[in-house]
This record gives sequence, C-alpha cells and structure tokens, in this order.
Amino acid sequence: MSQYHLGEFEEIVLLTVAILDGKAYGISIIEEIEVRIERNVSLGALQTVLKRLEEKGLLRSEFGEATKVRGGKRKRFYEITSKGRQILRDTKEQRVSLWNAIPKTVLKFS
Amino acid sequence: MKPTEDKPPKLFVKFFRWFCNTDFQEEIEGDLFESYKNYSERFGKKKAKWLFIKEVLFLFRPAIIGNINQLMNINSTIMSSKNGRLIAIMATMMGLLIIPLIAMQFSKEVNWSIFDFVVMGALLLSTGLLCELVLRKVKTTRNRIIICGAVVFIFLLVWAELAVGIFGTAFAGT
Repeated sequence: MSQYHLGEFEEIVLLTVAILDGKAYGISIIEEIEVRIERNVSLGALQTVLKRLEEKGLLRSEFGEATKVRGGKRKRFYEITSKGRQILRDTKEQRVSLWNAIPKTVLKFS
Repeated sequence: MKPTEDKPPKLFVKFFRWFCNTDFQEEIEGDLFESYKNYSERFGKKKAKWLFIKEVLFLFRPAIIGNINQLMNINSTIMSSKNGRLIAIMATMMGLLIIPLIAMQFSKEVNWSIFDFVVMGALLLSTGLLCELVLRKVKTTRNRIIICGAVVFIFLLVWAELAVGIFGTAFAGT
C-alpha cells in the first residue's frame, strides 16, 4: 500500500486526468469536472494541485500546441504516471473496503 | 466606428506576469486567455472581465508565485534593490486595496464609499512608507522587526478605531 494519501480534490483531479486520456490541460480539466460533478473550480486551485501532483511523481506533463485563442501560448498536457495509477487503485480499494464494512442496516432506506 | 477589441484587462495581465513563476507562466497565461474567451462567449464582455480578475487574484498563491528575487527584480540592472523593495511594498499596499473593490462586486456585505478607499489608501501608504523608512535607516534585523511590528500594530489600531471605534475618539466608526 502506498504511503501517500490523496486529498479529496487531488483524487478528483487525478481521476479527471485519467478520464481525459492524453487531452488533459488546465481548461479541459476544469470543464470536465464541471460537467461530471457540477463543481466550480478556479484555475488557481487546479494549477496548485497539478503542480503538487507532478512534484509527487503522480502526473507528468509536456507542452502541446499554441493557439490564437490562448494568445499564442502553448498548452501543457498532463498524463497519469504508473505511480499515479497505483495510488488511484489503492484509494479505490480503501473506499470499497470501507463501503463493504458498513452494516447493511445503516444504509437501509426508511 | 471600430468595434472594441475583446481582450482581458491589461493591468491584471501585467500583475499576473509580475507574480507568476516563469517556469509555468506560459501554460497558465494561455489557460487564463482561453477561459476569458469562454467567459466572454457565455456571459458577455463585462462579466468576463470580472471573472478574469477573480481568476488572476485566486492564482496569487505560494505554489504559483515566483521566488522573491523574481518578484523584487533584484538582479535587474535597471532597478536598485531599495527601489525594488519600495515598489514591492507599494504594489502590496495597492493589492490590499483592490481586495474590497473586488469583494464589492460579488458581495453586498462589503460596501465601501470613495471616502473609505481614500482613507484606507492613505493609511496603507503611510504604513508602507514608514516601514520602508525604517528598513533604510535602521541597520539591525532585531530593531527593524520591533519598529516595523510597532508601525503595523499602530496601523491596525487606527484601522479598528476608524471601523468600529474601540477607543471612542471623535474619529471612531460605528
């Protein structure tokens, strides 16, 4: 089991980068999060998490193309690393094991 | 008549370029421009400009800003370190003054008049200049910290008195 534990927003960002599969950059990640979980995310919050995840070795990035709409600036595309994939699997297993441990009566609808 | 160009506020683009770490300035600036374009299409130019300002202010955080040498431009031959520090102090004071201005656009609980801004601006300016004077005249770090701390403490007392009137002077606010 990995030593590093993901924060809630870190997990969302990592999952979204995995969903976008090579097409993940700042704006596309924000839009995907807005569509899938209806959560507004600021660019500042997202970029902070992206830099942290890259520093931890859970993401890697490379520059893409520049477009006119971006003022001639290039996109930075993010991809999940094998360490990132492993930590996502570990996190999922933890969640599933916690869900499975809840007695059936607790979640029974009244 | 020539239509006005749809561009984000220049002042905040410059502010972003000033504080952002040069290592990731390109991609974040591109994201900012792209989000501005999206906002402009969805909400119109006026709201897009405010949302752009909000995004820039939310980017002003430790993970994004450059190191202190970059911010103060210490290695530049154009600006001496003293002038760089003075400009940094003034920029910080202006930045603090912008916070209520921005907050007023999003919340009715912040409602400053022009007089409030003038008074706060004068207070911040005098505090900043006094701190700069102390840093230029006082040589030891210990004394600098004590005197600058006292200046900031007095600033906070005056502010509190003007805002809510803790001493009950003639200038006390309600």
